[in-house]
Amino acid sequence: MSDSLDCREAIARLQDYLKQELTPELAGELRAHLEHCRPCHGYARFEQSFLEMLEARAGHCGCPDELRARVLRELRIEMERG
Amino acid sequence: MAEPTTSGRPFDAEALPHLDALYRVALRLTGDPTQAEDLVQDTMLKAYRAWRQYRPGTNAKGWLLTILRNTFINDYRRRKLEPVATDLEAIEPHAIYRAVEDVDPEGAFFSKIVDEKVLEAIDALPPDFREVLVLSDMEGLRYGEIAEALKVPVGTVKSRLFRARRLLQASLYQYAVETGIIPPREAPHE
Repeated sequence: MSDSLDCREAIARLQDYLKQELTPELAGELRAHLEHCRPCHGYARFEQSFLEMLEARAGHCGCPDELRARVLRELRIEMERG
Repeated sequence: MAEPTTSGRPFDAEALPHLDALYRVALRLTGDPTQAEDLVQDTMLKAYRAWRQYRPGTNAKGWLLTILRNTFINDYRRRKLEPVATDLEAIEPHAIYRAVEDVDPEGAFFSKIVDEKVLEAIDALPPDFREVLVLSDMEGLRYGEIAEALKVPVGTVKSRLFRARRLLQASLYQYAVETGIIPPREAPHE
């Protein structure tokens, strides 16, 4: 695929690309650009690692058991009420 | 648990798996564990009562988080002045990358910062930016789902997200330099 994007356009679309919000066609163009352009590739990797870090942090925190039990209790009362 | 609804799968099967996400977002919105717990409980009860309005096949997590966010806005958010907008236009997309590309081009320093500090930095973001970042980058909602939850255009979601990330990166970078996780950028002269 020919490199139809310049660096400025590639950077502008990177956020959408990393969130998989681009059309397949645009995603393909961006991927092609990243394969050929070292600076943009490096920047994309950096952004990717930032996003992976955020996602991982979310997984470290969850609903406390006490709250879960309380919600189940309240829901049961609500259901019995009809 | 009893079967509460007519719309496809029962409420508990669809909603209970998202309690972790609801609690995480509630914690970031309220900044207070007790309030977060109350907010989650209120959200679940409201969602249960509104379950007939849920469209099967759509993202239940997005639907629940929308209810949580509305409940927060209506019943929890303390009235206060929005913080003065930071001069974000001045922040270049690659600002932080440029600062670390020689010492840590892959951004490994992000992962070396303890959870507590990352969450503190997220909590320090302006509320409009914080909620978009949490919904998108921590909970994985799509732009369209966030736009629907916040009742703003997709373009607004994207620009807030962009700015939220820039601010958070800058704040984590500063912390990493201050604590010696990464060396400061060398000054241009000696």
